[in-house]
This record gives sequence, C-alpha cells and structure tokens, in this order.
Amino acid sequence: MSNRNHIMFVDDDEEDRFIMLEYFRESGNESHIHFITNGQEALDYLESIPEDGNLPRLIVLDLNMPILNGTQTLFQLKRSRRFKDIPVIIFSTSENENEKRKCLSMGADDYLVKPASYNEGLKVVEKFTRFLEDVERNS
Amino acid sequence: MKEVVCVNLENDMDLILAHKRVMKLCELTGFSLIQQTSIATAVSEVARCAIDFGKSAELNLGICNSAGKRMLQAIIGDSRDFSPRCKDAIQYAKRLVDDVQVISGNKEFSIILRHQLSYGHTITDARLNAFIDYFKSEPPVSPYDELRRKNLLLQELAEKVQESENDFRVLTDSLPLMMLSANNGGTITYANKWLKDFFGQVPRDLTGISWQPLLHPGDYASFNKDVQNAFVNGETFTAQYRFVEKASDTYLWHIFSMIPLKNEKDIIIRWIGFIFDINAQKQIEQTLKDNRELKEIQKQLYENQAELQDKIIKLNRSNYELEQFAHLASHDLQEPLRKLLFYSDVLTTRYPDQVDDYGRTILHNMGAAVGRMKELINDLLSYSQLQKPNLSFAPVNLETLFQEIIRDLELPVRESGATIEYDELPTLQGNPIRLRQLFVNLVSNALKYSRKGIPPIIKVFSTKEDDHVSIHVRDNGIGFAEEYKEKIFGLFERLHTRDQFPGTGIGLSICRKIAELHHGSISAVSVPGDHAEFIVSFPLDQELTTQP
Repeated sequence: MSNRNHIMFVDDDEEDRFIMLEYFRESGNESHIHFITNGQEALDYLESIPEDGNLPRLIVLDLNMPILNGTQTLFQLKRSRRFKDIPVIIFSTSENENEKRKCLSMGADDYLVKPASYNEGLKVVEKFTRFLEDVERNS
Repeated sequence: MKEVVCVNLENDMDLILAHKRVMKLCELTGFSLIQQTSIATAVSEVARCAIDFGKSAELNLGICNSAGKRMLQAIIGDSRDFSPRCKDAIQYAKRLVDDVQVISGNKEFSIILRHQLSYGHTITDARLNAFIDYFKSEPPVSPYDELRRKNLLLQELAEKVQESENDFRVLTDSLPLMMLSANNGGTITYANKWLKDFFGQVPRDLTGISWQPLLHPGDYASFNKDVQNAFVNGETFTAQYRFVEKASDTYLWHIFSMIPLKNEKDIIIRWIGFIFDINAQKQIEQTLKDNRELKEIQKQLYENQAELQDKIIKLNRSNYELEQFAHLASHDLQEPLRKLLFYSDVLTTRYPDQVDDYGRTILHNMGAAVGRMKELINDLLSYSQLQKPNLSFAPVNLETLFQEIIRDLELPVRESGATIEYDELPTLQGNPIRLRQLFVNLVSNALKYSRKGIPPIIKVFSTKEDDHVSIHVRDNGIGFAEEYKEKIFGLFERLHTRDQFPGTGIGLSICRKIAELHHGSISAVSVPGDHAEFIVSFPLDQELTTQP
C-alpha cells in the first residue's frame, strides 16, 4: 500500500518540505513522501533501488537546487531507460513561462508553481492527489 | 661686264640720279671733269629718251673689257625698242663717247655706250667691289631717292620679318604646348596651332567672358582675377586651372603662365602666355592622395571595428550578468516573499480565533507589502529580460491579440464597468509575448487611471502614415499634465501616491522598451481630466496586412 503511493519529493528547501508534509497530512493524502535535497542524491537513490524493487510512483522536482538542479535532473531521468517512465512534476517558485515551456518540452508531466497562500497550497496537494489517481488508473 | 650700280629710269628724278651716278663712277674710275661731263651727258641724253618713250627702262653702269681695252659701260635696256624716237640722241652720244651700239633682241632692247678708261688706269676687282659698296651706302642724293631707299629697306625688312615669323610659327606649332601673345590691352594677337586645336577657337581677349566656356566653372573666377592682376602688376604669374578640351569635352589640368615682354626702356610691350598640360601629374597626385586617404579611412575603420568588437564583448558580458541577475531574482528574491505571504495567510486562515482584529490588520498589511514587493520584482525581472535584444518575430494578429487581452482582463473590466472597443487592426511582424505584454499594460493602465464614478471607455484603433503604422489606445480617464508626457516612460516614474493608484512605475518603461525592440516608438497625449491616448508606432514594413 505504501509502495503504491510512494512520492519522491526533491527540494532543498526545508520549509517547503515542512509545508508540503503538513498539507498532505491535512488533506488526508496517505502517500509515503520521500524527501531528498538535490538532484544528484535523487539519482543516486534511484540507482540504489534493486531491479526488482519498487520505483517511486511520482517524482516532484524543484528547479533551483544545488549540485544538480531540476532541469539537469529531469534530463538525466528522461534519458535513462529505467527511470524515463516515472512521472515527473516540476514544483517551482518561478512563474516564468519560458521555464515552464522548457520543462514540459523536456518531458515533465506538469509544472506547478509553489503556493503563495493557504488555499493555493491546498489546491497543489489536490493536484498531486489527482495526478497519482490518474497514474494508478492507467497502470 | 662687272656691274657696279643700277638705276631705274621712270621719271625726271631718275634722270638726275642717273646723271649723278655716271658722273660719280667716272670720277671714281679716273676720268677728268670734262670727260665726266661728256660721258654723263651722253648717257643722260639716251636715258631721257628711254624715260620718255620706253616702258620700264633701266640703266646699268659697270666696267667691261672690249678688244683688250678696259672700258666704262652704260647699258640702257628696255622691253620696248624706243630707238626710232631717239636717233638724234644717239647721234649726239656718238660724238661724246667712244662707242655707241644699239642691240635689238626679241623682247629686249638696249643701247650700250662705252668709253675707254684713261691709259694706265687699272681697276682691280677689289676696287670694283669698293665702288659697288660705295654706291650701296651712297648718301641720299634727294628726298625722293631717300624715300625710295627706305622703301626698299622696308621691303627687305618685311621679307625678313615674314621669314622670321614663319620660323616662329613653325617653332611654336611644333612645341607640344599652347602659346599665345597679347598686347597691353589684353587682345590676343597670336595663338599657336596647339591652342587653336585644343580650344577649337581662339578667344579675342585674355580678359573677359570669352574664357568662361573654356574653363572649369570652379576656376573661371580665379583665372579672370589672376589675369587682371597680372596686367595691373605687370609681373609674371603662374597658376593651375582646368581647361575644357574641345575634342573630348573634358576638363584637363593645365599650368597657365603669363610673361611680360619689355623694351629697352623697361616698358611692357607685349605679353606671352603658355598653357601646359599637367593633367597626368594631377591624376597621379590625386591618386596618391586618394590612396593615402583610403589607407587612413581603412585604418580608422579597423580601429572602429576593434572598438565595436570590444563593446560587443562587454555588452554580451553585461547581458550575461543581467540574465544571471534575472535568474537569481526570479528564484532567490521571490522565494522568501512567497513564504512570508504564505505564512501570514496560513495564520489568518487556519487560526482565525487566535488572531484578533488588530493582528489580522497587521497580517493583511504585511501581505499587501509583500505583494507589492513581488510585483516590483516581477516587473523588474520583466524589464531586465527585455535587455536581451534577440527577440524572435512572428506574425501577430492584433485583433486576435486584443480579443485575448479583453478575455484575460475580464475581472477588472467587469468590476469597473468598462467598455473596450477596437476597430479593424492590422497583423504585425513582432514578438507575440512582448506585444501582448505591451498592450496588456496599456489597457490595464486605462482601466486603472479612470475617473471616479465614470466607467472607463477604451478605444483601440490604428492609423497609417508615410512610413509607419500606429496603434492608438485611448481612454476617458484622469489623463496627465502635458509636462509629464515624456517623464511617464521613465523607470520608476510615478505621478500618483500609492494610496491613489497602486503600481511600480515600471509598466510604461516596459512598454517603451518593447516598442523599441520592434523598431518602433511610443508616445502619449492627454487632456488632464478628460482622456489619455497612447500611440505605439511600428515601421510600415512590419505591417503584414493592410487595413481597408
């Protein structure tokens, strides 16, 4: 059960991690959220999962991260035969249209702007939940 | 016979002269005075008949040898035989001199009188020549004779002048330069063949307008002045002018030189002019000069290019730095703001009971301040991104663009009760995102700066002038004073307090930047309290469709 809703949340911002966790809890989403602080760690972790092990159901990527940033990580994921089918949602502060278009063209499944209000936060979690449900239905 | 002197027999003066000459020759050859008179009388008698009845008689006096004797001889010859009319004279002469003969030829007729020289009187050739010289330089015998002699001299001189003039002509014509001479009045008295050939004519005067068609328009005035000065100063002068060659109808550079010719009293009697072709030299000079200038320009060009390259590098660097700044601003500056907003919102939403009214006001004000900061950063970011000049262009249908803008601004339009009308608008070559940003700003401003209680009416229309097409956005709002019509486009310029109208003061700067990136411009006109109108102009070649 926990494996089925396994979300990998890659973000170096401790506060955002805290906020998201709160929201997930509040909205009743029971997904297991695995927090990782940069792209390189995320890739290392994925590599460490055995062939028959369970890959995350969804990867949420921040863009502005140290060591390996969001777009670099996205690029690595999408060129990997093993990880390219894991859905990726970009989760960033940037409202830049160019950045959004770039990420979607690189294979990201969605682009969400980090919430600036309580209600926006709730909506974001709602979207994550709905997305996971879609993935579930299609698999 | 050795001839000593000759006298024409035409009139009485000739007769006197003939008599004198005979008397003299007799004297020189040693005859006594009586003998001199006898011989002279004999010759004179016959000569008188020749003058009276002959046609063009001539008397030749000389010395001859006849039968071993040295004799003085006088031959009176004519083309007409006048002897029948002077039988008496011949008879008379026969009595006075040793021998008189009448010789009648086909066309010539002559009477020869001879008289033997005194015995022992020898006359050498040298003496004979001395006689000849004597008669040549014989002092004038009469005014008539004098006149005659001078006339002869003059004729001789004229022949010589003619000869030397011919020489001069041949000489000047064979030199490859133009020559002329002029009198003191400037009238040209002589011009050589080269000059005639070159100009196709010879001007009458050195001064005056006859040279105008022969000179380059830029040289005529100075030529005229120089020549006149030369006449006034009486000094040699040399200058360079462009003369027209008749054959090729081209201007060729020449050296023109005028030299005064003076007599022994140092008075100028004539001017000599030379015109010498130096066009080839001039061309070489010009080519060398051009070459030098070309090299100079080339050098300048290289320097400018290097400078430009340097500036481009610096510009690229500063562009890069700007991009980096934009990137940093988008993430790092906005991040804490977002969280401030978020936390204050969470406080008011999730803990409504724990926060009292005052606390809520403070939280609300904090939120508003953060909101402004966020807006400011976004606008700054937007403006800095416009510094990147490489915009991609595509056809943008402005009518469709305005439909979309009205749809996007639906909420503020509804709230303010505004009406937005637009005429038929053209399709332009431009960057869709930036053009949208530009017109959204203008329409948003029109909505924002409305008069209290009066619903905004915004009219969008286009006009076309010689070389540009303009899009007008006109409202019925508060407008602005004339003095601010340029100022409002400056960065961070605001005409109102934030309480009256919120804003960052960047919006119109962005509009101007976008217009400029489209090779266009933006301007504004207004009547305060009545309306404001913003006009965005684009070059006509950016218009793709023409409105009807």
